[in-house]
Amino acid sequence: MVEAVELRLRALFKPDKIVYLSMLTASVVLMVQFFFSANAGATLRPHSSSHASTQTQAAAAAAVGAKTPQLQEGRTLFDENCSSCHGIDAAGSKLAPSLHGLGAGVVNLWVTSGWMPLANPSAEPARKPALFDLSQTDAISRYVASLSNGGIPILHPNLKGASVTEGFSIFALNCAPCHTITGAGDALSNGLYAPPLHGLTATQVAEAVRSGPNNMPVFATGEISKSQLKDLVAYVTEYIEHPTNPGGFALGGVGPVAEGFIGLFIGVGLCLLVAFWIGDRTEKEDKHHDAHDAKKAGVGAIHD
Amino acid sequence: MTETTNEHPDLESVSLDSPQFEVAAKNIKRTEYVTFGSFIISLIGFAAFGAAYTQNSPNYVFGLTIGIGLFFFGFGLVSWGKYLMPQGPFSEPRPLMETTEKEKELLKADFTSRGKVAIKRRSFLIKAMAAAGGVFGIVAAFPLIRSLGPLPKNSLMTTKWRKGSYLTTIYGDRVKPSDMEVGGILTVFPEDDLGSAISQTILLRVQESGKVVTMPGREDWAPDGFVAFSKVCTHAGCPVGLYEHLEQLLVCPCHQSMFNVKDGAMPIFGPAPRPLPQLPIYIDSNGYFRARAGYDEPIGPGFWTRGGTA
Amino acid sequence: MIDAIYNWIDNRLALSKSGRHLLNKIFPDHWSFMIGEIALYSFIVLLISGIFLTLYFIPSSATVIYHGAYKPLDGTHVSEAYASTINLTFAVRGGLFMRQLHHWAANIFIGSIVVHMLRVFFTGAFRRPREVNWMIGATLLILAIFNGFLGYSIPDDLVSGTGIRIAFSILESIPFVGTNLAFFLFGGNYPGTDIIPRFFILHVLILPLVILGLLAGHLGMLVKHKHTQFKGRGARNDNVVGSPLWPNYAAKAGGFFFLTTGVTAILAALVQINPIWQYGPYVPYKVSYAVQPDWYMGWLDGALRVMPSWEIHLPGHMIPNVFFPGILLPGVTFTLIYLWPFVESKFITHDYSEHHLLDRPRDNPLRTAIGSAVFAFYFVLFGASATDVLANYLQVSLNVVLWTFRIACIVIPIIVFPVAYKICLELQAAPGAGKRKRHMIIVRDEEGAYHSVDSEEYAGYTASELDPVDIEEVDLQPEIAVLTNSADTGDDGVYRVPR
Repeated sequence: MVEAVELRLRALFKPDKIVYLSMLTASVVLMVQFFFSANAGATLRPHSSSHASTQTQAAAAAAVGAKTPQLQEGRTLFDENCSSCHGIDAAGSKLAPSLHGLGAGVVNLWVTSGWMPLANPSAEPARKPALFDLSQTDAISRYVASLSNGGIPILHPNLKGASVTEGFSIFALNCAPCHTITGAGDALSNGLYAPPLHGLTATQVAEAVRSGPNNMPVFATGEISKSQLKDLVAYVTEYIEHPTNPGGFALGGVGPVAEGFIGLFIGVGLCLLVAFWIGDRTEKEDKHHDAHDAKKAGVGAIHD
Repeated sequence: MTETTNEHPDLESVSLDSPQFEVAAKNIKRTEYVTFGSFIISLIGFAAFGAAYTQNSPNYVFGLTIGIGLFFFGFGLVSWGKYLMPQGPFSEPRPLMETTEKEKELLKADFTSRGKVAIKRRSFLIKAMAAAGGVFGIVAAFPLIRSLGPLPKNSLMTTKWRKGSYLTTIYGDRVKPSDMEVGGILTVFPEDDLGSAISQTILLRVQESGKVVTMPGREDWAPDGFVAFSKVCTHAGCPVGLYEHLEQLLVCPCHQSMFNVKDGAMPIFGPAPRPLPQLPIYIDSNGYFRARAGYDEPIGPGFWTRGGTA
Repeated sequence: MIDAIYNWIDNRLALSKSGRHLLNKIFPDHWSFMIGEIALYSFIVLLISGIFLTLYFIPSSATVIYHGAYKPLDGTHVSEAYASTINLTFAVRGGLFMRQLHHWAANIFIGSIVVHMLRVFFTGAFRRPREVNWMIGATLLILAIFNGFLGYSIPDDLVSGTGIRIAFSILESIPFVGTNLAFFLFGGNYPGTDIIPRFFILHVLILPLVILGLLAGHLGMLVKHKHTQFKGRGARNDNVVGSPLWPNYAAKAGGFFFLTTGVTAILAALVQINPIWQYGPYVPYKVSYAVQPDWYMGWLDGALRVMPSWEIHLPGHMIPNVFFPGILLPGVTFTLIYLWPFVESKFITHDYSEHHLLDRPRDNPLRTAIGSAVFAFYFVLFGASATDVLANYLQVSLNVVLWTFRIACIVIPIIVFPVAYKICLELQAAPGAGKRKRHMIIVRDEEGAYHSVDSEEYAGYTASELDPVDIEEVDLQPEIAVLTNSADTGDDGVYRVPR
């Protein structure tokens, strides 16, 4: 039995194919890594979207009645977690900028996305699970906003009646150049990245559009009106988060690069494997061959 | 008749009971079962496709059913051909392509001897025919090529931006400074050329206030922290829609050329050879942005007749 | 009844004469001769699925308002071409499957052409008398790439529209005639409204016809020259050893058609390709990041990316940057491909004779080394078309990735050349390497009798099936022996071909 398997394997891995087969294997391994790492990255993202947005709204409603205790809580949390870099009363320090004039929306975005607080003062902001729950985040945001005027509030876009058609158009003009048309994200200059747009809440999308975190442009109401923002948020939360993929695996939404990979290594590769099978002579044929030689031993090639 | 070693029989000279006509399968019964089985799977696949079609099933059902049907049909055929058909090997002779000198000479003789009769003392006919044919060749190309499109003339050298053109959004709204915040980006067009591939221009607010001087001689081109550049990449013509507002870099999404906004959109990375042309703008008495003039150079990628200066 | 029909046709076309010849055509048994068939079969899939698609696709740039199943587009002004492709996808039963089948078949078509071409190159199958067929093959590759680009472009979506814009820029970069050419092809300045219908007619009629014609020539020459074959027992320059078309290869090749089609169909079932509804319609002032052409244009896109920012300024004229990677590079590439058979025989092998026995790559180290280095160069360029995606995936700076590719496209070929050359020499020196052993070998005992022994049991055995077998020099007389139907089957069971 074992020998039979071994023979089979030998037949498959004839030396002139080994190079090809190992290339194919390596490619498949790489590819699997490529496409599934996108999912592995999901652990770095904030909590589930729908859950988050309803909770934020609930927290916001609750906050009205308990303003002072909430601000108090926010202050405590800020002093413990943020003030070492951003300074007492968020006035800034050598390590980090002042947060005055940003508004609650910006703080909310940076904290819910896990960008803040940083792992250490010299780290780059990266998406990770938010450190604070939603009511704590709310408290911090409102506390920081209470220290100065201006900025954007925490946004809760009401998506009722929003037009995804209009949203798609705005997305293609303003968002796709960096985040790609499928929201997969891509690399910018010198180690900067436009992040993927998956796993975002409506609140986060709206706040990011209005505040332009990091290198993202700032879109004021003169560029994207309030109703257009709703349309855009509706498109992102519905169709970027849940793309329509009737055709099968979407390959991470990165387009022809991934498609070409599949076409070459799976498509052409499978056809070549089939060709290996069709084109080669069978063992029995070879044996016959050798027997044939044996008959003609007097005149044939001899090994002795 | 020389006897060569290791020779395989010619197909036409082998009797059917020779070993070459034995089948290759080791276990013929098993091979027959496998072949039969794959045709049956194929049959089921095709039938399932038919059923799926009547039900208007999703794509993967269509594809998998017919794909499995086709695959196993092929599998059955190949295993039949590979294991249940004469194992060979046979050989056939291959005439080489080289012809003999004699054959060559015969053809040559035929060509020249008969040809001579045809053209003897009639070379003027050849000339006339060649002239007529040549002219036909030339004139036939005219409608085939010239009718395809207009000549470029001056159209690549200019845009619809004129002195006094309003900077207008795609929705037709005139743009004023309060529409944008620092770090903002807006695609604008002249009012009479909305959505144009050629005139598209990107308006950036790079600072809170004050003139932006991106180059000596452009002191009055960019008021109140706003600056406008052609949105058509000077490399291959893609819309340069990617703006990093802290780095103040415009990046072309196609081939990642990077343009330094504060330095007259000078390319600092990637293949783009020239800066993006800057549109001189001012704010009129009603508070709207308008063009001081059109672009002072052809926008977009280079072309032969663009002229040698950058 | 069937006899009667056959006789009727036969009496008019003399099928029995040529038909017997065809049935008896010998195909050598080796997998590497099947690669071109993958291309042929995917081309048939392309034709069939393409016919289906033309029934629904409307090649028009006219603006319509899309109303249909896909909500984010419902009510949008789009071109008829785009709207009809969306309708084809969502409203026509089986339409999405056919689109995906067509697109995957195109990817496999061109991929197998490239692999086939590599096989032909590295085994020296392009040598006399097959130089012209090599050139036809190269032309088929160009046309296939070009037609693939056209097909990718005509749905008029955001990603492919950007590609058309780049194509216009490349065209207008050609010295002297570029701007006129671009204006003639596009019917005026970019974008115009003529390009979709023109691309369409090129894509579905003109280029497929040319491809079909060249394909017929390609296969006709194959029949005329017969297959090449590897050195092996009995294989000589003036014969073909293998299995006949009827019945073996009728079944095998026929089955291979269905297997190729089946693989393509399963891909089309499971893996989504070119989801243009997610891309949206092409709008000249909109753009998406991570826009790439299909893979077979990747080396050109990569070349556009790694090209330094140079262009040539002349008095009153200029040679733009994209001319070098966009026109000069493919021009040089295909000129080299066309001329290679002649370059090789003139400068490397000095061998102008007819070859029907193939080299193994090691047999001609210089050819293999040059081919590997050049292929490595294009492979690096191919990779360079994904700089942004790679930078994002690997979380490495985009600038670093681009510079890596700029350096790699020079350094990698320089490394590959000597390595490939050395490997060839090493393989030549190691007689057993890369060859499969025979299952049975013949040994001679002390008494001088011959025995057939399992090679596994025979220590020290090194020879293998692929060893070239010494054959008497065949006299290349112009009149090749005419075969008779009498076989001399001697007592020893040796078949002798009379000649």
